[in-house]
Amino acid sequence: MTALTTAANRGLASCHVCYKLAPTTVHQCPRCGSTMHLRKNDSIQRTLALLVTACLLYIPANLYPIMYTDQLGSTEASTIMGGVILLIELGSAPIAMVIFIFSVMVPSGKLMAMFYLVWTVKRHSPLDPRQRSIMYRVTEFIGKWSMVDVFVVSILVALVHLGGLLVIRPGVAALSFAGVVIVTMIAAESFDSRLIWDNMEEKNSDN
Amino acid sequence: MITRDIGHSGEIACHSCDLLVHVGTLRHGESASCPRCGCFLTRYRDDAYHRILAFASAGLLFLVLANSYSFLSFSSTGLESVMTLRETPGALWNNDMPGVAMLVTAFIIVIPAGVLLLMLALSSALIQGIYHPWLAPIAKSVFLAQNWSMVEVFIIGVIVSLVKIAAMATVVVGASFWAYTAFAICFTAAVANLDRYQCWERIEALGAG
Repeated sequence: MTALTTAANRGLASCHVCYKLAPTTVHQCPRCGSTMHLRKNDSIQRTLALLVTACLLYIPANLYPIMYTDQLGSTEASTIMGGVILLIELGSAPIAMVIFIFSVMVPSGKLMAMFYLVWTVKRHSPLDPRQRSIMYRVTEFIGKWSMVDVFVVSILVALVHLGGLLVIRPGVAALSFAGVVIVTMIAAESFDSRLIWDNMEEKNSDN
Repeated sequence: MITRDIGHSGEIACHSCDLLVHVGTLRHGESASCPRCGCFLTRYRDDAYHRILAFASAGLLFLVLANSYSFLSFSSTGLESVMTLRETPGALWNNDMPGVAMLVTAFIIVIPAGVLLLMLALSSALIQGIYHPWLAPIAKSVFLAQNWSMVEVFIIGVIVSLVKIAAMATVVVGASFWAYTAFAICFTAAVANLDRYQCWERIEALGAG
Protein backbone atom coordinates (compact mmCIF):
# COMPACT_ATOMS: atom_id res chain seq x y z
CA MET A 1 0.00 0.00 0.00
CA THR A 2 3.02 2.29 0.05
CA ALA A 3 2.63 3.32 -3.59
CA LEU A 4 -0.87 4.67 -2.96
CA THR A 5 -1.16 8.29 -1.88
CA THR A 6 -4.35 9.89 -0.64
CA ALA A 7 -5.21 13.53 -1.09
CA ALA A 8 -4.98 13.99 2.68
CA ASN A 9 -1.39 12.65 2.70
CA ARG A 10 -0.45 15.36 0.24
CA GLY A 11 -2.20 18.07 2.26
CA LEU A 12 -5.00 18.41 -0.28
CA ALA A 13 -8.75 18.52 0.33
CA SER A 14 -11.31 17.62 -2.33
CA CYS A 15 -14.39 19.84 -2.79
CA HIS A 16 -17.63 17.92 -2.08
CA VAL A 17 -19.48 19.66 -4.90
CA CYS A 18 -17.00 19.96 -7.77
CA TYR A 19 -14.09 17.62 -6.80
CA LYS A 20 -11.57 20.48 -7.06
CA LEU A 21 -8.35 19.75 -5.19
CA ALA A 22 -7.03 22.54 -3.03
CA PRO A 23 -4.59 22.79 -0.08
CA THR A 24 -6.27 22.14 3.28
CA THR A 25 -5.48 25.72 4.31
CA VAL A 26 -8.05 27.00 1.78
CA HIS A 27 -11.53 27.21 3.29
CA GLN A 28 -13.56 28.16 0.24
CA CYS A 29 -13.45 26.22 -3.00
CA PRO A 30 -11.67 28.37 -5.63
CA ARG A 31 -13.85 26.86 -8.38
CA CYS A 32 -17.43 26.65 -7.08
CA GLY A 33 -17.34 28.66 -3.87
CA SER A 34 -18.50 25.85 -1.54
CA THR A 35 -17.01 25.54 1.93
CA MET A 36 -14.13 23.07 1.89
CA HIS A 37 -13.34 20.45 4.50
CA LEU A 38 -10.77 17.68 4.58
CA ARG A 39 -13.57 15.39 5.82
CA LYS A 40 -17.26 16.17 6.28
CA ASN A 41 -17.82 18.07 9.54
CA ASP A 42 -18.74 15.93 12.58
CA SER A 43 -19.72 13.18 10.18
CA ILE A 44 -20.14 10.42 12.79
CA GLN A 45 -22.13 12.51 15.29
CA ARG A 46 -24.46 13.93 12.64
CA THR A 47 -25.07 10.56 11.02
CA LEU A 48 -25.75 8.95 14.38
CA ALA A 49 -28.16 11.72 15.42
CA LEU A 50 -30.09 11.43 12.15
CA LEU A 51 -30.19 7.63 12.42
CA VAL A 52 -31.71 7.85 15.91
CA THR A 53 -34.30 10.35 14.58
CA ALA A 54 -35.15 7.95 11.75
CA CYS A 55 -35.57 5.06 14.23
CA LEU A 56 -37.99 7.15 16.32
CA LEU A 57 -40.02 8.10 13.22
CA TYR A 58 -40.03 4.47 12.15
CA ILE A 59 -42.19 3.49 15.15
CA PRO A 60 -45.31 5.58 14.27
CA ALA A 61 -44.71 4.80 10.59
CA ASN A 62 -45.37 1.13 11.31
CA LEU A 63 -47.92 1.35 14.14
CA TYR A 64 -50.34 3.89 12.66
CA PRO A 65 -52.39 3.30 9.51
CA ILE A 66 -50.87 4.55 6.24
CA MET A 67 -54.29 4.72 4.57
CA TYR A 68 -58.01 4.30 5.21
CA THR A 69 -60.49 2.68 2.82
CA ASP A 70 -64.10 3.85 3.24
CA GLN A 71 -66.33 1.36 1.49
CA LEU A 72 -70.14 1.63 1.72
CA GLY A 73 -70.10 3.28 5.12
CA SER A 74 -67.49 1.09 6.79
CA THR A 75 -63.91 2.24 7.31
CA GLU A 76 -60.91 -0.04 7.09
CA ALA A 77 -57.48 1.14 8.25
CA SER A 78 -54.34 -0.49 6.89
CA THR A 79 -50.76 -0.25 8.13
CA ILE A 80 -47.70 -0.90 5.96
CA MET A 81 -47.46 -4.56 6.99
CA GLY A 82 -51.26 -4.88 6.81
CA GLY A 83 -51.13 -3.77 3.17
CA VAL A 84 -48.55 -6.42 2.37
CA ILE A 85 -50.65 -9.16 4.01
CA LEU A 86 -53.79 -7.95 2.21
CA LEU A 87 -52.00 -8.13 -1.14
CA ILE A 88 -50.89 -11.71 -0.47
CA GLU A 89 -54.50 -12.62 0.41
CA LEU A 90 -55.69 -10.99 -2.82
CA GLY A 91 -53.29 -13.26 -4.67
CA SER A 92 -50.86 -10.63 -5.99
CA ALA A 93 -47.73 -12.04 -4.37
CA PRO A 94 -45.23 -10.30 -6.72
CA ILE A 95 -46.58 -6.83 -5.86
CA ALA A 96 -46.67 -7.82 -2.18
CA MET A 97 -42.97 -8.66 -2.54
CA VAL A 98 -42.25 -5.26 -4.15
CA ILE A 99 -43.98 -3.40 -1.31
CA PHE A 100 -42.33 -5.64 1.30
CA ILE A 101 -38.86 -5.07 -0.15
CA PHE A 102 -39.21 -1.29 -0.61
CA SER A 103 -41.19 -0.45 2.53
CA VAL A 104 -39.95 -2.97 5.09
CA MET A 105 -36.62 -4.47 4.05
CA VAL A 106 -34.98 -1.39 2.47
CA PRO A 107 -35.64 1.11 5.30
CA SER A 108 -34.79 -1.29 8.13
CA GLY A 109 -31.83 -2.76 6.24
CA LYS A 110 -30.59 0.72 5.49
CA LEU A 111 -30.78 1.77 9.14
CA MET A 112 -28.90 -1.37 10.21
CA ALA A 113 -26.25 -0.93 7.50
CA MET A 114 -25.64 2.71 8.49
CA PHE A 115 -25.43 1.84 12.22
CA TYR A 116 -22.98 -0.93 11.35
CA LEU A 117 -20.80 1.42 9.26
CA VAL A 118 -20.75 4.10 11.97
CA TRP A 119 -19.93 1.47 14.59
CA THR A 120 -17.03 -0.04 12.59
CA VAL A 121 -15.58 3.43 11.90
CA LYS A 122 -15.78 4.36 15.58
CA ARG A 123 -14.16 1.08 16.63
CA HIS A 124 -11.41 1.44 13.98
CA SER A 125 -12.43 -1.97 12.70
CA PRO A 126 -9.94 -3.74 10.43
CA LEU A 127 -12.75 -5.38 8.38
CA ASP A 128 -12.38 -5.20 4.60
CA PRO A 129 -12.81 -1.50 3.76
CA ARG A 130 -13.59 -2.20 0.11
CA GLN A 131 -16.64 -4.27 1.06
CA ARG A 132 -17.80 -1.61 3.52
CA SER A 133 -17.38 1.03 0.79
CA ILE A 134 -19.60 -0.99 -1.54
CA MET A 135 -22.13 -1.44 1.28
CA TYR A 136 -22.23 2.34 1.74
CA ARG A 137 -22.70 3.01 -1.97
CA VAL A 138 -25.57 0.50 -2.19
CA THR A 139 -27.20 2.06 0.89
CA GLU A 140 -26.87 5.52 -0.60
CA PHE A 141 -28.29 4.42 -3.96
CA ILE A 142 -31.24 2.45 -2.65
CA GLY A 143 -32.47 5.08 -0.16
CA LYS A 144 -35.07 6.92 -2.20
CA TRP A 145 -36.75 3.73 -3.44
CA SER A 146 -38.59 3.38 -0.12
CA MET A 147 -40.73 6.36 -1.14
CA VAL A 148 -42.78 3.96 -3.33
CA ASP A 149 -45.34 3.36 -0.58
CA VAL A 150 -45.87 7.09 0.02
CA PHE A 151 -46.41 7.59 -3.73
CA VAL A 152 -48.85 4.67 -3.85
CA VAL A 153 -50.91 6.28 -1.09
CA SER A 154 -50.89 9.70 -2.87
CA ILE A 155 -51.97 8.10 -6.16
CA LEU A 156 -54.77 6.08 -4.55
CA VAL A 157 -56.03 9.12 -2.59
CA ALA A 158 -56.12 11.22 -5.76
CA LEU A 159 -57.65 8.47 -7.85
CA VAL A 160 -60.21 6.69 -5.70
CA HIS A 161 -62.99 9.04 -4.60
CA LEU A 162 -66.37 7.63 -5.68
CA GLY A 163 -68.71 9.60 -3.40
CA GLY A 164 -70.11 7.37 -0.65
CA LEU A 165 -69.24 4.18 -2.46
CA LEU A 166 -65.47 3.97 -2.21
CA VAL A 167 -63.01 6.57 -0.90
CA ILE A 168 -59.34 6.20 0.06
CA ARG A 169 -57.85 8.64 2.59
CA PRO A 170 -54.20 9.01 3.72
CA GLY A 171 -53.12 8.10 7.28
CA VAL A 172 -50.58 9.67 9.66
CA ALA A 173 -48.03 6.95 8.89
CA ALA A 174 -47.62 8.38 5.36
CA LEU A 175 -46.04 11.51 6.87
CA SER A 176 -43.83 9.67 9.36
CA PHE A 177 -42.75 7.17 6.72
CA ALA A 178 -41.81 9.98 4.30
CA GLY A 179 -39.87 11.42 7.26
CA VAL A 180 -37.98 8.13 7.76
CA VAL A 181 -36.98 8.04 4.09
CA ILE A 182 -35.83 11.69 3.99
CA VAL A 183 -33.94 11.55 7.29
CA THR A 184 -32.11 8.34 6.33
CA MET A 185 -31.19 9.92 2.97
CA ILE A 186 -29.68 12.91 4.80
CA ALA A 187 -27.94 10.52 7.22
CA ALA A 188 -26.35 8.65 4.30
CA GLU A 189 -25.28 11.98 2.79
CA SER A 190 -23.63 13.19 6.01
CA PHE A 191 -21.63 9.98 6.44
CA ASP A 192 -18.13 10.33 5.03
CA SER A 193 -17.03 6.99 3.55
CA ARG A 194 -13.41 8.15 3.47
CA LEU A 195 -13.35 7.60 7.25
CA ILE A 196 -13.53 3.85 6.55
CA TRP A 197 -10.20 4.11 4.71
CA ASP A 198 -8.60 6.63 7.08
CA ASN A 199 -8.75 4.02 9.85
CA MET A 200 -6.89 1.54 7.77
CA GLU A 201 -4.13 3.99 6.95
CA GLU A 202 -3.67 4.81 10.64
CA LYS A 203 -3.26 1.07 11.24
CA ASN A 204 -0.67 0.81 8.47
CA SER A 205 1.39 3.71 9.73
CA ASP A 206 1.33 2.28 13.29
CA ASN A 207 3.01 -0.93 12.16
CA MET B 1 -15.88 23.79 -31.63
CA ILE B 2 -15.47 21.96 -28.38
CA THR B 3 -11.92 21.84 -27.13
CA ARG B 4 -10.70 18.96 -25.02
CA ASP B 5 -10.61 19.96 -21.40
CA ILE B 6 -8.67 18.21 -18.70
CA GLY B 7 -7.55 19.46 -15.32
CA HIS B 8 -4.24 21.18 -14.91
CA SER B 9 -3.02 18.15 -13.03
CA GLY B 10 -5.50 15.56 -14.36
CA GLU B 11 -5.87 14.23 -10.81
CA ILE B 12 -9.01 13.34 -8.87
CA ALA B 13 -9.23 12.43 -5.20
CA CYS B 14 -11.66 9.49 -5.06
CA HIS B 15 -14.66 10.81 -3.13
CA SER B 16 -15.25 7.39 -1.63
CA CYS B 17 -11.75 6.61 -0.27
CA ASP B 18 -9.65 9.79 -0.89
CA LEU B 19 -7.07 8.01 -3.06
CA LEU B 20 -5.36 10.34 -5.53
CA VAL B 21 -5.98 8.98 -9.01
CA HIS B 22 -4.24 10.29 -12.10
CA VAL B 23 -6.98 10.35 -14.73
CA GLY B 24 -5.12 12.16 -17.48
CA THR B 25 -6.83 12.67 -20.82
CA LEU B 26 -9.78 10.41 -21.49
CA ARG B 27 -10.93 9.67 -25.01
CA HIS B 28 -14.58 9.66 -26.10
CA GLY B 29 -16.50 6.98 -24.21
CA GLU B 30 -13.71 6.16 -21.76
CA SER B 31 -14.35 6.15 -18.05
CA ALA B 32 -12.21 5.98 -14.92
CA SER B 33 -12.79 4.14 -11.65
CA CYS B 34 -10.85 4.14 -8.40
CA PRO B 35 -8.34 1.23 -8.37
CA ARG B 36 -8.60 0.87 -4.58
CA CYS B 37 -12.32 0.95 -3.79
CA GLY B 38 -13.87 0.53 -7.25
CA CYS B 39 -15.91 3.75 -7.07
CA PHE B 40 -16.82 5.32 -10.43
CA LEU B 41 -14.89 8.56 -10.95
CA THR B 42 -15.58 10.13 -14.33
CA ARG B 43 -16.50 9.49 -17.96
CA TYR B 44 -15.68 11.63 -20.98
CA ARG B 45 -18.00 12.00 -23.98
CA ASP B 46 -17.45 14.40 -26.89
CA ASP B 47 -21.17 14.94 -27.34
CA ALA B 48 -22.23 14.93 -23.66
CA TYR B 49 -23.69 18.47 -23.68
CA HIS B 50 -25.51 17.93 -26.96
CA ARG B 51 -27.10 14.81 -25.51
CA ILE B 52 -28.04 16.68 -22.31
CA LEU B 53 -29.57 19.52 -24.31
CA ALA B 54 -31.62 17.05 -26.37
CA PHE B 55 -32.83 14.94 -23.43
CA ALA B 56 -33.55 17.95 -21.21
CA SER B 57 -35.67 19.76 -23.81
CA ALA B 58 -37.55 16.56 -24.74
CA GLY B 59 -38.09 15.83 -21.04
CA LEU B 60 -39.57 19.28 -20.38
CA LEU B 61 -41.96 18.88 -23.32
CA PHE B 62 -43.09 15.49 -22.01
CA LEU B 63 -43.64 17.01 -18.55
CA VAL B 64 -45.93 19.66 -20.06
CA LEU B 65 -47.87 16.89 -21.85
CA ALA B 66 -48.01 14.84 -18.64
CA ASN B 67 -49.73 17.77 -16.94
CA SER B 68 -52.27 18.26 -19.74
CA TYR B 69 -54.23 14.98 -19.83
CA SER B 70 -55.68 12.44 -17.42
CA PHE B 71 -53.17 10.23 -15.67
CA LEU B 72 -55.37 7.34 -14.54
CA SER B 73 -59.12 6.88 -14.44
CA PHE B 74 -61.04 4.56 -12.19
CA SER B 75 -64.61 3.38 -12.64
CA SER B 76 -66.91 1.12 -10.68
CA THR B 77 -70.68 0.51 -10.99
CA GLY B 78 -71.23 3.44 -13.32
CA LEU B 79 -69.27 5.95 -11.22
CA GLU B 80 -65.96 7.30 -12.47
CA SER B 81 -63.12 9.26 -10.94
CA VAL B 82 -60.13 10.65 -12.80
CA MET B 83 -56.68 11.48 -11.50
CA THR B 84 -54.47 14.11 -13.10
CA LEU B 85 -50.89 14.84 -12.15
CA ARG B 86 -51.68 18.42 -11.10
CA GLU B 87 -54.53 17.43 -8.78
CA THR B 88 -52.59 14.70 -6.97
CA PRO B 89 -51.00 16.99 -4.35
CA GLY B 90 -54.31 18.85 -3.95
CA ALA B 91 -56.08 15.63 -2.93
CA LEU B 92 -53.51 15.07 -0.16
CA TRP B 93 -53.73 18.72 0.90
CA ASN B 94 -57.52 18.45 1.25
CA ASN B 95 -57.07 15.38 3.42
CA ASP B 96 -55.09 17.36 6.05
CA MET B 97 -51.72 16.20 4.71
CA PRO B 98 -50.12 19.45 3.47
CA GLY B 99 -46.63 18.19 4.42
CA VAL B 100 -46.86 15.03 2.34
CA ALA B 101 -48.53 17.00 -0.49
CA MET B 102 -45.60 19.43 -0.68
CA LEU B 103 -42.97 16.67 -0.45
CA VAL B 104 -44.62 14.64 -3.21
CA THR B 105 -44.91 17.72 -5.49
CA ALA B 106 -41.27 18.57 -4.87
CA PHE B 107 -39.96 15.06 -5.53
CA ILE B 108 -41.96 14.26 -8.66
CA ILE B 109 -42.48 17.65 -10.38
CA VAL B 110 -40.70 20.71 -8.96
CA ILE B 111 -37.18 19.32 -8.38
CA PRO B 112 -36.95 17.29 -11.63
CA ALA B 113 -38.38 20.18 -13.70
CA GLY B 114 -35.99 22.63 -12.04
CA VAL B 115 -33.01 20.34 -12.65
CA LEU B 116 -33.94 19.97 -16.34
CA LEU B 117 -34.36 23.75 -16.80
CA LEU B 118 -30.98 24.43 -15.20
CA MET B 119 -29.36 21.66 -17.27
CA LEU B 120 -30.80 23.26 -20.39
CA ALA B 121 -29.11 26.57 -19.54
CA LEU B 122 -25.88 24.85 -18.48
CA SER B 123 -25.54 22.62 -21.55
CA SER B 124 -26.34 25.35 -24.07
CA ALA B 125 -23.73 27.65 -22.51
CA LEU B 126 -21.14 24.84 -22.51
CA ILE B 127 -21.89 23.94 -26.14
CA GLN B 128 -21.45 27.54 -27.24
CA GLY B 129 -18.28 27.76 -25.16
CA ILE B 130 -19.20 31.08 -23.58
CA TYR B 131 -18.37 31.76 -19.95
CA HIS B 132 -21.09 33.29 -17.75
CA PRO B 133 -20.73 34.16 -14.07
CA TRP B 134 -23.94 32.16 -13.36
CA LEU B 135 -22.48 28.87 -14.63
CA ALA B 136 -20.92 27.88 -11.29
CA PRO B 137 -24.03 28.53 -9.13
CA ILE B 138 -26.24 26.73 -11.69
CA ALA B 139 -23.96 23.69 -11.87
CA LYS B 140 -23.81 23.64 -8.07
CA SER B 141 -27.61 23.62 -7.78
CA VAL B 142 -27.93 20.86 -10.39
CA PHE B 143 -25.49 18.58 -8.54
CA LEU B 144 -27.12 19.27 -5.18
CA ALA B 145 -30.69 18.77 -6.39
CA GLN B 146 -30.40 15.80 -8.73
CA ASN B 147 -30.27 13.21 -5.92
CA TRP B 148 -33.65 14.43 -4.67
CA SER B 149 -35.60 13.74 -7.83
CA MET B 150 -37.78 10.63 -7.58
CA VAL B 151 -39.36 10.33 -11.04
CA GLU B 152 -38.42 6.66 -11.52
CA VAL B 153 -39.67 5.78 -8.02
CA PHE B 154 -43.00 7.42 -8.85
CA ILE B 155 -43.37 5.24 -11.98
CA ILE B 156 -42.95 2.11 -9.82
CA GLY B 157 -45.52 3.63 -7.44
CA VAL B 158 -48.03 3.98 -10.29
CA ILE B 159 -47.54 0.35 -11.36
CA VAL B 160 -47.97 -0.90 -7.78
CA SER B 161 -51.15 1.22 -7.39
CA LEU B 162 -52.55 -0.19 -10.63
CA VAL B 163 -52.17 -3.75 -9.42
CA LYS B 164 -53.50 -2.86 -5.96
CA ILE B 165 -56.83 -1.50 -7.22
CA ALA B 166 -57.24 -3.55 -10.39
CA ALA B 167 -59.18 -6.07 -8.28
CA MET B 168 -61.65 -3.42 -7.03
CA ALA B 169 -62.67 -1.82 -10.32
CA THR B 170 -61.69 -1.01 -13.87
CA VAL B 171 -58.61 1.21 -14.16
CA VAL B 172 -57.66 2.91 -17.42
CA VAL B 173 -54.19 4.34 -18.04
CA GLY B 174 -54.34 7.84 -19.59
CA ALA B 175 -52.07 9.70 -22.01
CA SER B 176 -50.39 11.55 -19.13
CA PHE B 177 -49.00 8.32 -17.73
CA TRP B 178 -47.15 7.58 -20.98
CA ALA B 179 -45.94 11.18 -21.21
CA TYR B 180 -44.67 11.01 -17.61
CA THR B 181 -42.87 7.71 -18.34
CA ALA B 182 -41.16 9.34 -21.34
CA PHE B 183 -40.29 12.31 -19.10
CA ALA B 184 -38.73 9.94 -16.53
CA ILE B 185 -36.64 8.24 -19.22
CA CYS B 186 -35.42 11.60 -20.63
CA PHE B 187 -34.64 12.87 -17.13
CA THR B 188 -32.59 9.77 -16.27
CA ALA B 189 -30.73 9.94 -19.59
CA ALA B 190 -29.95 13.65 -19.17
CA VAL B 191 -28.61 13.15 -15.63
CA ALA B 192 -26.60 10.09 -16.70
CA ASN B 193 -24.83 12.17 -19.37
CA LEU B 194 -23.80 14.94 -17.00
CA ASP B 195 -20.40 14.05 -15.55
CA ARG B 196 -19.52 16.06 -12.46
CA TYR B 197 -15.75 16.15 -12.89
CA GLN B 198 -15.78 16.87 -16.66
CA CYS B 199 -18.47 19.54 -16.27
CA TRP B 200 -16.52 21.45 -13.63
CA GLU B 201 -13.25 21.14 -15.51
CA ARG B 202 -14.97 22.63 -18.55
CA ILE B 203 -16.49 25.51 -16.59
CA GLU B 204 -13.08 26.26 -15.10
CA ALA B 205 -11.39 26.12 -18.52
CA LEU B 206 -13.99 28.54 -19.93
CA GLY B 207 -13.53 30.88 -16.99
CA ALA B 208 -9.76 30.91 -17.36
CA GLY B 209 -9.70 31.54 -21.08
